[in-house]
Amino acid sequence: MEYKTENEIIKEIKKVFKQAKCSIKKERRIEVILNKRNIMEFALRMQKNWDFPHLSAISCVDWIDEKQFELVYHFWSYNKKVLVSAKIRIPREKEPHTDSIASLWQPAKFFERDIHEMFGVVFDGNNELEKYILTDWDGPPPMRKDFITREFALNFYSYREYNPEWLQEIIKQGDKND
Amino acid sequence: MIEKREYELFIGPNHAGISGNYSLHLTLEGDKIIKAKTDAGYLHRGFEKLMEERLFIQNIAIVCRICVPDPDPNEENYARAIEEIAGIEVPERGKYIRTLVLELARLASHLFTFGGHAGSIGLYSLPNWTVADRDRIMELFEELTGGRVYHIFILPGGVRRDIPKGFKKRVMEVMDYLEKRLPEYDDLFFENAIFIKRSKGIGIMTPEQAITWGATGPNIRACGIPADIRKDDPYEAYPYIDFEIPTRTEGDAYARAMVRRAEFVQSINIVRQVIENMPEGPVWNKIPNPLKWKVPAGDAYVRTESSKGEFAYYLVSNGGQKPYRVHVRGASVTHGVHILENLLVGARIEDASQIMFSLDACPPEIDR
Repeated sequence: MEYKTENEIIKEIKKVFKQAKCSIKKERRIEVILNKRNIMEFALRMQKNWDFPHLSAISCVDWIDEKQFELVYHFWSYNKKVLVSAKIRIPREKEPHTDSIASLWQPAKFFERDIHEMFGVVFDGNNELEKYILTDWDGPPPMRKDFITREFALNFYSYREYNPEWLQEIIKQGDKND
Repeated sequence: MIEKREYELFIGPNHAGISGNYSLHLTLEGDKIIKAKTDAGYLHRGFEKLMEERLFIQNIAIVCRICVPDPDPNEENYARAIEEIAGIEVPERGKYIRTLVLELARLASHLFTFGGHAGSIGLYSLPNWTVADRDRIMELFEELTGGRVYHIFILPGGVRRDIPKGFKKRVMEVMDYLEKRLPEYDDLFFENAIFIKRSKGIGIMTPEQAITWGATGPNIRACGIPADIRKDDPYEAYPYIDFEIPTRTEGDAYARAMVRRAEFVQSINIVRQVIENMPEGPVWNKIPNPLKWKVPAGDAYVRTESSKGEFAYYLVSNGGQKPYRVHVRGASVTHGVHILENLLVGARIEDASQIMFSLDACPPEIDR
């Protein structure tokens, strides 16, 4: 496989962002690792210079052991038929801040709002970060890795022990079969 | 002089003329909508969090529940993401069966949308027809997978089992039936004067708007942009199949319905080709013991053309037995929130539900 278009795109990116680490993951998939300061400029160039008009999604990953959040911006080009995933890392704090790209990409408004709700990341410049799905929730952002669903359920909900004889019998039989 | 007064109207969340448990908060001036806000969360089940707590194989029973009318693109995305990370190949026959399942799901989902769209403008006969016809596809699914709505059929490495004896013939019969039904749908709905009068010029989206607002699927194709992931970013057996991408240029509710109708014809055509060209061989490449399987560390972004548009998964594995993160990008996260809020402004109140159905917004994908 030659990856002609992919290599051309990487060349263009390398011209402007010399520090960026670019790699071809497979056909039509490019990964770019950026410094978090550069994301706004990168997004602007993706849209205006490099012909990537479609922001497919923004994903957030909580790397709790490394004390970092990873934000992944997926850009798609209708003409070049390539998807560029740009990754930035931000420190994992109570209220981490990063630049919003909602002024450039209107779909980003929703993606950033979702990440703010689920991970507590604040996007500076996006004024529509109010709650959307979890309107009645005032606990910690639930998609963070230190929010443990099981622990929360045990503390929040009450339940009654249910262990009738017939169930014990079945459990015993199950043990025998092992 | 009469003072202009605004008033607020809440539609939903109990399926009142809109698709699924979703709520619209409209600000009106007379009959005209001047501001629209959407409200989701009635169907939030925390699937993304749930998936982080379960084994890779267990999640296959969860992912299909993310979109009720069109569940198979979820299974497809999830399986393909794992395959990409773990480097698993799918046998040719497996690819063809997956394509068959995906196209049957598209047909079933489009039938639902035709009915919903007709119902939203008061033509209540068509929903009865399309739901009954959708049942024929559900029966095929039941025979193939054991499930009518949720199939849990596409696994990493291929599909769960081969097609049953005589199944090809029954699929062809259903396809012939659906093709014969289309002229009847035309009489009742697509060429109906009421439908044409009600839907033409409603909810117009220009090609520029479609791109900046992030429209995908039939909604962007109704604006004249032939973007389709099956062609642009091909997967499974689509590269071997000959089909067209129908487009229209008007960008209104009528164009979106007609694009779906044309796609319906194409899907019948794809199903026939898949059945005719299906190679012999295994349908599943064995994966390691799924109860102890550690998927190597890595990440993958996979995209599927669902009946509603671009459906994508971002899956991250840290080398453990459970996925580290699964991000679901439903097709409706752009259509059902940003685009719907924009298109409703300036529309009349009676067109609100039609605009939602013409965009084919599916709230469970937004809530997850």
